[in-house]
Amino acid sequence: MGSVKRISKELTELTESPPAGIRVELADESNVYEWKVHMEGPEGSPFHNGKFLIKLSLPTEYPFKPPTVSFATKIYHPNVTNDEKGSMCLGMLRADEWKPSSKIAAVLQFARQLLAEPMPDDAVEGRIAEQYKNDRVRYEEVAREWTRKYAC
Amino acid sequence: MSTSVTASTSLPDSPRPSRLRRLSQLRTYTQNLSSSLPSGQRSYRHSLSRIPWRSLNSDSISPPANSTTLPCPESDHPPLSRYTSAPAPSYGFGAELNNQVSSTESAASTPSNDLPQTPNSMARLRSASAVHRPPPRTLERATNNSQESTPSPEPGATPSNGIEPTSTPAEGQVTSKSETKATIRFFPYQDSLQSTRPSLPFAPVARTLPSESCVIRVGRYSERDGVPPPNPTEPSDAPVGFKSKVVSRKHCEFLYVNGQWHIKDVGSSSGTFLNHMRLSQPNMVSRLYSIKDGDIVQLGIDFRGGEEMIFRCVRIRIECNRSWQQQPNEFNKNTESLIKNLGKGETADYSGCRECSICLGSVLRPYQCLFMAACAHVWHYKCISRLLHSPDYPMFQCPNCRAFTDLSAEVDDSNDLEEKQEKEPIEDRASNDSGEQLETEGPSVVEPDIMEGPPDQLGDLAEENLVNNVENLHLQDDQQTDDTRSSASPAPDSSTDDLARSATTNIPGWQPTQPRSVPSGRESQLRTDTPVRSETSDDNPLTPRNDSGPLAFDGRAGMP
Repeated sequence: MGSVKRISKELTELTESPPAGIRVELADESNVYEWKVHMEGPEGSPFHNGKFLIKLSLPTEYPFKPPTVSFATKIYHPNVTNDEKGSMCLGMLRADEWKPSSKIAAVLQFARQLLAEPMPDDAVEGRIAEQYKNDRVRYEEVAREWTRKYAC
Repeated sequence: MSTSVTASTSLPDSPRPSRLRRLSQLRTYTQNLSSSLPSGQRSYRHSLSRIPWRSLNSDSISPPANSTTLPCPESDHPPLSRYTSAPAPSYGFGAELNNQVSSTESAASTPSNDLPQTPNSMARLRSASAVHRPPPRTLERATNNSQESTPSPEPGATPSNGIEPTSTPAEGQVTSKSETKATIRFFPYQDSLQSTRPSLPFAPVARTLPSESCVIRVGRYSERDGVPPPNPTEPSDAPVGFKSKVVSRKHCEFLYVNGQWHIKDVGSSSGTFLNHMRLSQPNMVSRLYSIKDGDIVQLGIDFRGGEEMIFRCVRIRIECNRSWQQQPNEFNKNTESLIKNLGKGETADYSGCRECSICLGSVLRPYQCLFMAACAHVWHYKCISRLLHSPDYPMFQCPNCRAFTDLSAEVDDSNDLEEKQEKEPIEDRASNDSGEQLETEGPSVVEPDIMEGPPDQLGDLAEENLVNNVENLHLQDDQQTDDTRSSASPAPDSSTDDLARSATTNIPGWQPTQPRSVPSGRESQLRTDTPVRSETSDDNPLTPRNDSGPLAFDGRAGMP
């Protein structure tokens, strides 16, 4: 399987020199397709000091198909669904925008960037997006509270 | 041309003694027809098409002033001007309508596709048909001007529906474009998200304009026009035909104005859609809309659900403004020298092209099968093969930069790239010499052995070029001026280099996240709103109801 080779290569790279605030490991040592990602909330965002557990699953066709990213930790964010799946909407992960040359490191960095700067126009949670746009103070308040409640 | 005209016109009257003679004459007559013969062709067509046109006109078109089904110019002017507001389209529309009514010159039914003097054909069509306009001469002049000299016919008319004004963003490209010919390529596009029904499949089409004033006409494929080669190696403005009934005979045109490609609906019945936005109402000429690399153009709407191939709409992905990628630039020069040094043990830093983006392994190791696309990105053949042998074959999209390649394209072994390197130092040329073969259109499976031996004829290249220039002078006047212009200014080179450098991470003009000059919210809204099939057309006022079918729309169902 070509994908295993590439995935393990990326995994090695990510464990050896992890990007800031991101730590990766396999959910199950025998399965390279399911990753556990520990992400720290970026500084300056209401998620700061929070530790978020993200599940990253790779399709067997990786890198020709995009991985999926979902938050196991509840998070108050316009681009993350507020349900038990917690799936994250990333533009670069959409099937028609995904490029095989994108790496997981880039995906995770992009996801972390999204925590700092939500994209309300691309939101999956319309209500939160609305609040983010119109009532930033309240949004940050709730986000901080959720972070304290679920991510610490 | 004039001789053939007389031949064909004199033919019927001149009695010939031998039957054989007559036959051969007839053959030349038809041959003349199939090749370019404007006036003879017109009269021939005219006699055929006049009757059906008349009857059709009386059925559906001829009472336009008070007809309710078909828009008349007066009543429709406000909505039209809402999104065109340029003088040319509305008046072109008037002329077009006039033309349909009078049908004296019936130029609309003449697919003037073969006419050699293309830029004028539109103007001629208008002037010929616009009977009520007093001086046809000045009219022709006016249309010519508005089409060619005016940079964008809608200077202050950024319409309310949010299509960008065309002139300003083009400025930057003019310098880099002027040295190459205007090239545009059409690829079939399958909308993976919205439609279940695939659009009409067609072979990729490439056109390079012989001169900037040429126009690429797009319409329904017709047996009578013959099949122009889909990918001519020489510059050509041959019309592009699609075998679908929902495509009008004269559907839309692609024009190259001031270094920028534009599209214009020329009165199609079932519509031209640019990124899901309809350009004009049925049978109306639209204004010019600028297009850019990656845009999706749809011709017509699926009829009867697109069940049959002949009723499917055409979706085209546009590739243009990619010339920077097809010229020598830092990236493909790097790649070229990388390939040349394969197996020599040199591991210099060739950033950006030493890694196979699929397996993340090195492509520098010798004894591996590699594949290099036209954009000079390289992968292991095994890694990329999955994308090569896809259902889209022969189309190949580079997974790194999303450039499309036609894998079945003819090998381009022309050496015209050398001329552009005249300014470069000789030693640079030495390394480039074999590179030129790499940088040509078609992709190539690269074998290191072949690349090892560059032809050693660098010494007299400059003189050779001069000789070539002189030799080609009478053939390629326009190109010549282009080339001299480009060699006078060294600026384009550096700009292409810059582009190439940034290309490794993001591709200008294509990255989907790149901010568009269009209010993207509006556009994305349109994207979802635009119906794919006629049944769902209620929510979009611009989309016609296609109840009666494309044939009735076209108004030419009775045509042979």
